[in-house]
Amino acid sequence: MTARPDAPLKVTGRATYALDNVVEGAAHGYLVLSTVARGELASMDVEAVRAAPGVLAVYTPFEPLPLHPVNSALLGRMWLPLQDKDVRYHGQPIGFVVAETFEQARDAAALADVAYHERPAATSFSDGLTSAVDAQPAASEAPPSLTVLADGVASIEDALEASDVTIDATYETAAQNHAAMEPHSALAVWSGGELTVYAGNQAPHLVASDLASAVDVPVDAVHVENPVVGGAFGGKATSMPALLASAAAVALDRPVKAALTREQVFTATANRPATRQRIALGARRDGGLVAVRHDSWSTTTREIGFVEPTSHGTSREWYTTENLAISQKAVPLDVPPATFMRAPGEAPGSFALESAVDELAEAIGMDPVALRLRNNSTAPPGEDLQWSSKHLDECFEIGAARFGWADRTPGGRRDGDWLVGMGTATAMFPGLRFPATVGVTLHDDGTADVATAGADPGTGLLGVLRIVGAESLDVPQDRVVPRLGDSRLPPGGLSGGSTATASAGSATMVAASTVIEQLVALASSEEGPLRGHDVGYAHGTVYALDAPERDPMTFGDVLRATGRSTLSATGTTAPGEETTKHSFGSWGAQFCEVRVHRLTREVRVSRLLGVFDAGRIINPRTARGQLAGGMIWGVSAALHEGIEFDDDGRMSRRDLADYLLPVNADIPDVDVQFVEHPDTLLSDLGARGLGEIGIVGVAAAVANAVHNATGIRVRRLPIRIEDLLEDG
Amino acid sequence: MRQFDITAPTTIDDAVDGRHTFLAGGTTLVDLMKLDVLTPPRVADINALPLRGIGADEGGHSDNGNAGHGLRIGALERMSDVAEHPDVPPAVRRALTLSASQQLRNMATIGGNLLQRTRCGYFRDTTMPCNKRTPGSGCSALGGNNRGHAVLGTSDHCVATHASDLAVALVALDAEVRLVGSDGARTTPLADFYRTPGDTPEIETGLRDGELTTDVVVPHPERAAHSTYVKVRDRQSYEFALCSVAASLDVRDGVVVDARIAAGGVGTIPWRLPGVEAALRGEPATESAFAAAAEVATHGATPLTHNGFKVPLLRRTLVRALLELAEGSTR
Ligand SMILES: Cc1cc2nc3c(=O)[nH]c(=O)nc-3n(C[C@H](O)[C@H](O)[C@H](O)COP(=O)(O)OP(=O)(O)OC[C@H]3O[C@@H](n4cnc5c(N)ncnc54)[C@H](O)[C@@H]3O)c2cc1C
Ligand code: SF4
Repeated sequence: MTARPDAPLKVTGRATYALDNVVEGAAHGYLVLSTVARGELASMDVEAVRAAPGVLAVYTPFEPLPLHPVNSALLGRMWLPLQDKDVRYHGQPIGFVVAETFEQARDAAALADVAYHERPAATSFSDGLTSAVDAQPAASEAPPSLTVLADGVASIEDALEASDVTIDATYETAAQNHAAMEPHSALAVWSGGELTVYAGNQAPHLVASDLASAVDVPVDAVHVENPVVGGAFGGKATSMPALLASAAAVALDRPVKAALTREQVFTATANRPATRQRIALGARRDGGLVAVRHDSWSTTTREIGFVEPTSHGTSREWYTTENLAISQKAVPLDVPPATFMRAPGEAPGSFALESAVDELAEAIGMDPVALRLRNNSTAPPGEDLQWSSKHLDECFEIGAARFGWADRTPGGRRDGDWLVGMGTATAMFPGLRFPATVGVTLHDDGTADVATAGADPGTGLLGVLRIVGAESLDVPQDRVVPRLGDSRLPPGGLSGGSTATASAGSATMVAASTVIEQLVALASSEEGPLRGHDVGYAHGTVYALDAPERDPMTFGDVLRATGRSTLSATGTTAPGEETTKHSFGSWGAQFCEVRVHRLTREVRVSRLLGVFDAGRIINPRTARGQLAGGMIWGVSAALHEGIEFDDDGRMSRRDLADYLLPVNADIPDVDVQFVEHPDTLLSDLGARGLGEIGIVGVAAAVANAVHNATGIRVRRLPIRIEDLLEDG
Repeated sequence: MRQFDITAPTTIDDAVDGRHTFLAGGTTLVDLMKLDVLTPPRVADINALPLRGIGADEGGHSDNGNAGHGLRIGALERMSDVAEHPDVPPAVRRALTLSASQQLRNMATIGGNLLQRTRCGYFRDTTMPCNKRTPGSGCSALGGNNRGHAVLGTSDHCVATHASDLAVALVALDAEVRLVGSDGARTTPLADFYRTPGDTPEIETGLRDGELTTDVVVPHPERAAHSTYVKVRDRQSYEFALCSVAASLDVRDGVVVDARIAAGGVGTIPWRLPGVEAALRGEPATESAFAAAAEVATHGATPLTHNGFKVPLLRRTLVRALLELAEGSTR
């Protein structure tokens, strides 16, 4: 177990987040947001704003800040604020006021007089279903619909018809905001033709390139720093404050700071969309799946953009079935844009699929764990590529024993005034890698840097770089200094897709072995201390294979002996051949116990257990943190969280008192277990992703436990008291 | 937040000049000033005033006959200190412990708590119509998200709940507030202090201009020794009540002799339930009798689009609170 290298800074309040940076002469920007959901800006009277004390500049679509088109590596063509007069949702950025102080900017912004040509807004998911269109699921090349049929089967309907037992139900999940502790914020400094931007984000090298396009300067003139990030969860691939502060810093030739208020975070960023899913399952009496049909609808903006891939992220791969049909549709609405959020697709998709599997188990009269194992897949249905390393059965077996699953009875049990129930669900997240470059630098003082641009928004990447670096160089961990959060470091380690450990970790291994080769060559070279010898490397030292009497030398000794201060190499890895040979995924078994008051119907989660198969676990401490955090977020999605819109498109809960997240009192001890089977088919490191899988399946496990306790099946998230009052 | 002047009076006379808005813990006032909902030009920090103390009532500023038989709580006592004080009846202690968070309770005062403003989201958003904030502008909650709103005591002008848990417990226990203004001191039962919205939702209490709450008095606290507070909400801490019940129950030989009950989260003011109290008297202390009496609680309730569940939930919360007292009863 390795502590987080950045923990001492964080727990003592000394970590420098973007806004903590102080530069002489910084001005402060404040965003103005729209107060209607659809229409066009008729006018913005900003006379009073401009005349307010301390105001330096006021930017609106009528007097825009110049921003140039951005084709982002992560997000594609980006929407840029203040460039046009269209209002697409309530809470859209429409102005940016820059003043000497934050208070002056905020107070001045309140004086803007905005007039709209308002048009009727569509904000209701259910009303919008009639205008649903086929849509490409996010981050996928798959067509919206896909069908796999067994020989001789004409349609999925026929397959369902021919099944002994079928269930057919519709599930709904609420939209959510990432609500990271650190709101989106930035400090942009423009000096001598160079732009330096301090901003929490998930990939500084990619953000630097987006910002370079936006302000139209060469990419190597932009430098983005994010050494610490206060949470991202998919929501910090871009930010309005970074774009606006950068452009304003260039326009005003002055450093500019900007941050979203907590209320603004809810609309001026992007959310996880609401979903609706209809699932039909058909099975034989023995539980064998004959047919799986999973149709999905995701709310989107009118431009569509991001589509939550709920069927593609789950039913496409999870179970063995003879027949499969999935589809994805978008329901375009006048609501804030959507984007990636922890386990996009899998999180809401698993609520539907894993609730449906529980319903099927009940219909068949089979244990829900046994039903899942009965249909455990060896490859995605209709595909030849087998899972590289899948131990879901072991996860369920260990989990069931540890949780006391055998004590579960179909009608739950009673403890005083509390109805107690247990539920389970499968969790899965694909095993992915992204291209990554990591630099390893040996220093003459015997320490080594391991560096990649990347980000550690609490995920633990910094510790992974230290651990894998130390292991690959065969030196103690305290001799390795991990570095990230700087666009000038080698490009890699982006925080997304649960890829950072497998990607940056395997690149670290390559970089370390390259630098060792160079070190060995240097030691035996003409200028080297072991000139003329056959040289080997072990335990962090260089030694002469053919002269065992000579003392081994540390790499620091070798560098000093050759008059060098450093020796560096980079290593690059990318997904390759392996993807043509196997399918990759992390798997898990979630278990939950709930207590529901027989009268007042509050649901309390009393026990949570997740057993995960994520390959080799590099750092059990941060791995556990990631998974427990994800599981807690799953409880949040199950019982607390949900964006709600008024009919006019205004988001009705936009602060952390009203937008409910679980508090400590809502969360029991969270038990996280691993089955460790290194997956060296994915990468030499053997690790698969585990950043996102923790949230997957939890909401279904909660809902299934609620059903076990109360007999009530709730198919809409979040589950609330009113859903459980039979007389309500 | 707008610019404002601030003073810190050290005597009650200086404080009640009628020109200042009082600042106690600031957890309501500063919050609403940051949102521009409240824009007082002059603020008086009253923390230096002698409004402390928890103990036997010595008559305070006016003698209403309860002197010596009451528990007096100074308006500037912090919620956390009152919650931990052994002389304070259980219903009040529990109402406080289940309020807000420990950090807020350490700042917030009893006087400020009773005068906190509603949590209606439209009241807190100055871009939205709200009769309570801007009389005559309309009530956004009627057609908006009203899951958290009231089902009792509402009007066409406002349906916001009174958010205080403490007030519910104090109303159930017949507490009184003592007030001092420039024309002298007075005492009023807390139940009469609050006003339902009618067509003037901007008027929430009988507090006169410049009047200061000095104390709260709980008469005969020994009669509330057998009392409780049950709070139902979406999460287990740090949230206002969807529904709550404060109750004090006197059961002898299995029969209810007396009951004092008020509900929160369901009314536009802390909602005393005299009908339920009457229906309980003389009845056996059983779940079915409690359920029958609870029916009376929701007579006349007017649910809105999203809060219909509060009607059955109130009845269930009542039964739960009464059962807790009946089962815990030693008499
Ligand atoms: C996030 C959050 C959660 C909360 N949750 C709960 C909850 O679950 N339950 C609950 O009951 N409350 C809750 N509260 C409300 C909290 O209890 C009140 O804000 C607090 O009690 C107010 O006390 P204060 O001393 O801070 O008042 P202040 O903010 O200082 O004052 C509030 C009002 O009372 C006036 N005032 C204060 N003292 C006097 C006096 N002596 N005489 C006359 N007028 C006076 C002020 O002028 C002001 O108008 C919550 C608050 C927050 C911010
Ligand atoms: S319920 Fe009352 S406080 Fe809320 S919007 Fe209506 S008038 Fe305003």
